[in-house]
Amino acid sequence: MALCLATTLTHVVLVFLHVAPPNAVSKRYGPQINAWVYPLFEQNWRLFAPDPDSVNRRILARTARTAPDGATQVSSWVDLTAVDNSAVKHNVFPSHTTQNLLRRAWTSYVDTHGADDRTDSDRAVMMQKYLRNIAADRVAAHDQGATFGFIQLRVLTLPVAAQGAAAGNRPPTPAEERLLPWWKVTPRGN
Amino acid sequence: MGTEHITQPPSTAAASGGTADRRTTGAAQRFVALLTGRPVSLYAVSVMRAGYGMLYLVFLLREFPHRHEIWGPGSPWTPALAEQLFAQTGWNSILTLSDSPAYFELCYVTALFTSALFMLGWRTRAMSVLFAIVVTSFHARAIFMTDGGDNLILLMAVYLVFTACGRRWSLDARRNRLKTARAGDDPERARRFASPRLRQARSTLTTVVHNCGIFVMAAEVCFLYGSAGLYKVQGASWVGGTALHYVLNLELFQPWPALSHLADDYAVLIAVASYATVLLQVAFPFVLFGRLKYPVLAMLLGMHVGIAVVMGLPLFSGAMIVADAVFLPDRFYTSLAHLCRRATRRTGASRPVSRGPGSGSVPQQGRTGLPGSRQRAASPRT
Repeated sequence: MALCLATTLTHVVLVFLHVAPPNAVSKRYGPQINAWVYPLFEQNWRLFAPDPDSVNRRILARTARTAPDGATQVSSWVDLTAVDNSAVKHNVFPSHTTQNLLRRAWTSYVDTHGADDRTDSDRAVMMQKYLRNIAADRVAAHDQGATFGFIQLRVLTLPVAAQGAAAGNRPPTPAEERLLPWWKVTPRGN
Repeated sequence: MGTEHITQPPSTAAASGGTADRRTTGAAQRFVALLTGRPVSLYAVSVMRAGYGMLYLVFLLREFPHRHEIWGPGSPWTPALAEQLFAQTGWNSILTLSDSPAYFELCYVTALFTSALFMLGWRTRAMSVLFAIVVTSFHARAIFMTDGGDNLILLMAVYLVFTACGRRWSLDARRNRLKTARAGDDPERARRFASPRLRQARSTLTTVVHNCGIFVMAAEVCFLYGSAGLYKVQGASWVGGTALHYVLNLELFQPWPALSHLADDYAVLIAVASYATVLLQVAFPFVLFGRLKYPVLAMLLGMHVGIAVVMGLPLFSGAMIVADAVFLPDRFYTSLAHLCRRATRRTGASRPVSRGPGSGSVPQQGRTGLPGSRQRAASPRT
């Protein structure tokens, strides 16, 4: 009984320290807290906090392939986010593949890469591969049976207009446009 | 927490009038009695079992067309990437044991059956372990596709293993009831353990672990709401009452754009709802010990139903609503069952024979649930 109680209290305290903002206690006992909490009890309840996203991201992709005569053919842009948005529309139970897949892959990519596209950690390489695989699958599904050797992403960040500002269906102007480098598309397995 | 106060043993009651020293021993005794006396909140935890089992089943079925993209060997998060991440984080998953598509389909079907049987409470303790393995495996395999709702289901699936979540409104409870009824006057036949001492020890152990599990789940929900609220207080848009305006304008969470825009047009409504959200979340851990918890839980229920519809997040909202169920006391559920039964009996009386599709809309608990008092008396005390 004592063991059970002790485990319970330890668990609750360590989860509290994990959830709480960084403080003197959680800094001092960081390794112990992480050893207990990760991976199973990892959690983050900053739901729309401290502020909800005030932007909509639009992720587009285009592909390139080398023609038999050696010339490079570049496709037109495919709006991957528009496909997700239309799948969400009028759907009582949208799939995780539309609401979370591309959205979270992109935020994870930004988390590991920052503002430039240099992959300088294992995790960054993994997230780059993940994003590339998603984009390649989506483009292949969009243009049935398309074959290509390279893929490039373009990410538009469209801010949500402040409340009360020029109501109506105005198309917001992109505040930021990010063009990623061309990535080589390799057969799966890595 | 849905703790019904246990009747105090006369010895502890007598100690309450004594010195401070005797008072502390009295409190300690009462605490031990509460911890070891009997499993608390058996109805709440059974509702959570049925709720999370059902949510996961619905989730798996909903993602049936996308199952390969999310968890299969052909996912953009390839098995190799998943294993590389597991090596870094210490996670594990049964899904990466083999890259064969047939093995994946087997895992998927197993997950479906596990969720269904866990929901129904068939061999609940064993199923709860399997369910936790299924949920951790599927969660870990698609970790970059998960959101807060999946995270909560994972935590609760793990905590439910420690609780006696199959004692009420379950196939196990039904079987035990029938068994005891059949055993009739000869209670020895219903008992599994020869030694009463061993039986007693087992009963105390399961009770203590169960009560600790309930406490952890309740604490977890308090941390969730507390931190969700307190982190929001730091954000300028929540402070200014405009946060929900931004939430309503996220295209991926806009299944009904007309509805979102309509709500967005009322700035006062947005401000009131933004403040109410933060207030409810921050207040949550502090109102649980009084009657105020009922209106707060009702408002949270309304908030989550709103999120489910307006933002297209039924799984997330469902997970939150089921988690809130831990705070409702057993007497709430017994009177609810009572009401349901009376309502079905009344409709049954007007249509004497037909038990047609109408009976399907009765909650699952209603079918297996018999009067709480009878059930309690009949179920084994281990």
